[in-house]
Amino acid sequence: MSASIIATESLGHAYGDIVALHHLDLDVPEGRVGLVGANGAGKTTLIKILLGILTPTVGAASVFGKSVGDETLDIRGRVGYMPEDSCLPLAQTAADFTIYAAELAGIPPRDARQRASDVLTLVGLYEERFRYLGEYSTGMKQRAMLAQAIVHDPALVFLDEPTAGLDPEGREEMLDLIGRLGEFGINVLASSHVLTDIEQTCDWVVMLDGGRVLRSGPISGLTETGVVEVEVLGDPAAFERRLVEAGASVERHGRTLVVRLDGGDPFDAVRDALADSGTGMRRLDTRSTTLEDIFLEVPEAR
Amino acid sequence: MTDRGVVYDLGYVPHEGARLGKPGAVRATIKDGVRRVLGLRRRARKKVLPWILFGIALIPAIVFVGLAFFLTSFVPEADSPFGGHADYYDLAGPVMVIFTALAGPELLIPDREEGVLAVYSSRPMRASDYLLARGAALAIVIAGFLVLPQLLMYIGFAAIDSDGFVQTLLSDWPNLWRIAVTSVAFLVGYGAPALFVSVYAKRLAPATGTLLGILVGSTGLAAALSESGAFAGSRYAALLAIAQHPFALRDWAFDQSSVDSVVADAGFGPVWSLAMILGIAVIAGGLALRRYRRLM
Repeated sequence: MSASIIATESLGHAYGDIVALHHLDLDVPEGRVGLVGANGAGKTTLIKILLGILTPTVGAASVFGKSVGDETLDIRGRVGYMPEDSCLPLAQTAADFTIYAAELAGIPPRDARQRASDVLTLVGLYEERFRYLGEYSTGMKQRAMLAQAIVHDPALVFLDEPTAGLDPEGREEMLDLIGRLGEFGINVLASSHVLTDIEQTCDWVVMLDGGRVLRSGPISGLTETGVVEVEVLGDPAAFERRLVEAGASVERHGRTLVVRLDGGDPFDAVRDALADSGTGMRRLDTRSTTLEDIFLEVPEAR
Repeated sequence: MTDRGVVYDLGYVPHEGARLGKPGAVRATIKDGVRRVLGLRRRARKKVLPWILFGIALIPAIVFVGLAFFLTSFVPEADSPFGGHADYYDLAGPVMVIFTALAGPELLIPDREEGVLAVYSSRPMRASDYLLARGAALAIVIAGFLVLPQLLMYIGFAAIDSDGFVQTLLSDWPNLWRIAVTSVAFLVGYGAPALFVSVYAKRLAPATGTLLGILVGSTGLAAALSESGAFAGSRYAALLAIAQHPFALRDWAFDQSSVDSVVADAGFGPVWSLAMILGIAVIAGGLALRRYRRLM
């Protein structure tokens, strides 16, 4: 596992009587991390605590090993933040605001101008950079918000519902941009209640529900089921018999068989059964589950 | 000339240069604040009022120095109601009231209502840094309004004085600290109420209206209450004349007395005015800090 970028220890936060986070223990590695959960799950609260905007009621958190609270300014010097709601001054041009956002992060003015130009090109706003932000469409505003979040080359960027309010095309473009951030060496913590967005862009997921962690782990590990789906040519009876003899459990749907094998590799079992029975194969696939399936499987999340 | 073009995708370039941290963030916030209150790099309509007010504050000084240069018979302090250093605040003071009522809300409200504070929250600065930087921006611009005309007159009148330039500058140097003291009194005396209103108001126009109401209306209210004698200690109501306290300190600095001063008429000296200005500043600053610590 790569180095940890975010760690929490029994982290909790309450708004008066309403408990938003319950004793979170997290250890999040480098890369693109998805923070999923329904509205009110505690995603934004967690991000605000990590930024030092909110103070935890109990527990502790750290970002890049630096303690939230004691070393907040050090953390803020290395992160970017794209909030869920608009954060754009409508009376400024995108170019001016992005330069300002870079300078606010401590980038010297000359470098800030160059970086703003580069980042606005990256998010596809270069041609529109001298327009006032108040004239931008929703999709353009989201891009401008992403630009201000990464213009200072942060080591980690917090994206709070980055696709909120976007049409399908804008959503795909935003997800593509988020996916590319990893290539630039920028770690990402993206929150969303749209599970497919996280599946598409992230390699690690933290699932929150009601302020509690349901799962935290690599997406590939979570969505792999160890189940193989095989479609065969001709009668599958002999093939099915061989699989059962090998200890696999088999579900048959016409010429398609769903194969499970506890304590062994189902691919090896399928290969051997096909060879022994002389059956031809049309298709072989792993059956993967979605984050949504996992989310609904967990009793507390229902 | 080639008929084939090549596009080079330079990709993403990491920043390898300096990172200035909190000092850089604070400097950027001050620069943005100055630009914002003067309408620089904003739409034309945002520039109109600040620059008209700047003109009103500065042009008379230029005219007086010019008249004194061309007309040897023109004596500014005798021939103009605003020709002396102290009297010039009678012109600059009302301009300051209008300017701070516009600039104070402009510095704080849009950031808060448009959600821009979220950006500051992800930068190496705290709420106190942000508020101090915004205050510094207001101070820089107000210094321009208040000090520039005074310096122009100080240097301009010395340049044409029959006693000689250097000799006049040296003999008039006490005016410099008087100008400094008075300008700080106006900055804090008018800036603190602007901060107080801007911290809670949600929109610019109502905030400006409220500030003008407080700064202008408080004098009339204070006069009516203190002169009515309607209740025990009613003379203390004169201290509510917020807009007059900087003038009281001006009078103290220049060792003069104002004809129409509600505060002075009620028997309160400059120490009371200083205490009121500082009191309002501390309360406004404390409330602002309390609110912004929750926001960023």
